[in-house]
Amino acid sequence: MQHKPSRFPSFFMSVGAVLRKDALSELRSKYAFSTLAVFALTCLAGISMSIGGGELTQLNPQVQSVLLWIVLFFSAMAGLGRVFVQEQDAGTLLTLKVSAPPQAVYFGKVIFNVFLLVSLSVLVLILFIVFFDVSVSDWLSLIGVLWLGSIGLSIIATMTAAMAAQAQGRASLFTIITFPLILPEFLSAIEGTRAVLAGEAVELTQFLFLGGYGVVALVAGSILFDYLWIEG
Amino acid sequence: MLGRLSKGDNLFGIITGVWLVATAVAVFALPPVEPIEYFGYSARILFFHIPMAWIAVVAFLMGAWWAVQYLRKRDLAQFHHGSLSNKVGLVFTLLATVSGAVYGKLTWGTFWNWDVRQTTIFILLLIYAAYIVLGYSIEDEEKRARISAVYSLFAFVTVPFLFFVIPRLGITTIHPTSFNMTFNMVLVLVAALLGITALFIWIVRCGAAYRRNRVVEPTAQEEPASFAQTSKDLQNGEDQT
Repeated sequence: MQHKPSRFPSFFMSVGAVLRKDALSELRSKYAFSTLAVFALTCLAGISMSIGGGELTQLNPQVQSVLLWIVLFFSAMAGLGRVFVQEQDAGTLLTLKVSAPPQAVYFGKVIFNVFLLVSLSVLVLILFIVFFDVSVSDWLSLIGVLWLGSIGLSIIATMTAAMAAQAQGRASLFTIITFPLILPEFLSAIEGTRAVLAGEAVELTQFLFLGGYGVVALVAGSILFDYLWIEG
Repeated sequence: MLGRLSKGDNLFGIITGVWLVATAVAVFALPPVEPIEYFGYSARILFFHIPMAWIAVVAFLMGAWWAVQYLRKRDLAQFHHGSLSNKVGLVFTLLATVSGAVYGKLTWGTFWNWDVRQTTIFILLLIYAAYIVLGYSIEDEEKRARISAVYSLFAFVTVPFLFFVIPRLGITTIHPTSFNMTFNMVLVLVAALLGITALFIWIVRCGAAYRRNRVVEPTAQEEPASFAQTSKDLQNGEDQT
């Protein structure tokens, strides 16, 4: 195989490089994941304490799934916005713009955020089962709904994070502009989780929707990201 | 502000205003016949509610169209059109929501029910309120235009999915979709739809005229004159004291 010398490394290598850079800086600072984790713990503990122990913890599946997703949503809002804000604070934004193609930055940041939120969802699920005495029969469906929902949420949040990073009052703005956009995924994931917790079967269309929404958001984000990044 | 509009726009505005007032009078003058009076006299609110919802949809569609145009041509006028259009859309969405809630109270017995239509319109309110907040929090105009346009288009792609989700949640609608209307009623409704569409066009044209005036106004000749005037006033003031 002949190697063509090119100015830019291949696309996948660029994505990998962006991802690796973010992962390394996260491993050093441990900021994003620790914020997410402690925020989620605070939320869950707050809810659980105010409800109290004993029989009271056995909420109906609807309430349980709503609480689970609200905790996940607000934790995501606390941590996912950092991918772009951090570049600005560290003064590395311009360097990143010069050294990587925009689409590589987009996919690298999306994958990083997906990884963060999916790991967080595992942690939240474990805490949730401990605090709320949840009995799960269909683990595969639960993990499927949880992860597909988290993936969709982080794809959209990455896009809105790129917008909010360029505005004032970034943190609160990030939540405001993200919430309406994730609603379809959010409501659908809540419904799916409710079904699992109630011991019902989750329909295949539910999974298709959760996944499809993520794919559409990913493609739309990819098309629109250049407008945010190149001139931003 | 109105004085600076072109003659055509002034005339258009007056005709639209007269038309809308006449339509409103016609709504209350409609004979109280069976189909509309089924829910009592209050059903006349529909002649306001439907056009408001209609113009909100038109305004949001035009807003998305202008967002695309802005990203393609980078002409700030396109962004201002789109931004104004979305704001008008938000105001009419709010009016449609309120008029719908009032009618809901009269017919369903409650202002708010999370009916399918109420849920979707509420999400529209959230999105376009977020759009406006996003715009306010970015100072640089080019940047504001670009990011607002991207946000509204991103929302435009993702939001239609709600129409797949909401029916799945077991929310059913009791929002009426059709009425038996007499010919006169159809006539009044069409007149209201035309009138409010004209109002929308007029508002967008006013916005464009207002910006033109604002750009032209602080010319090189005017500013020193006004400064001179101010200093003269100050001197006069000092003389008096």
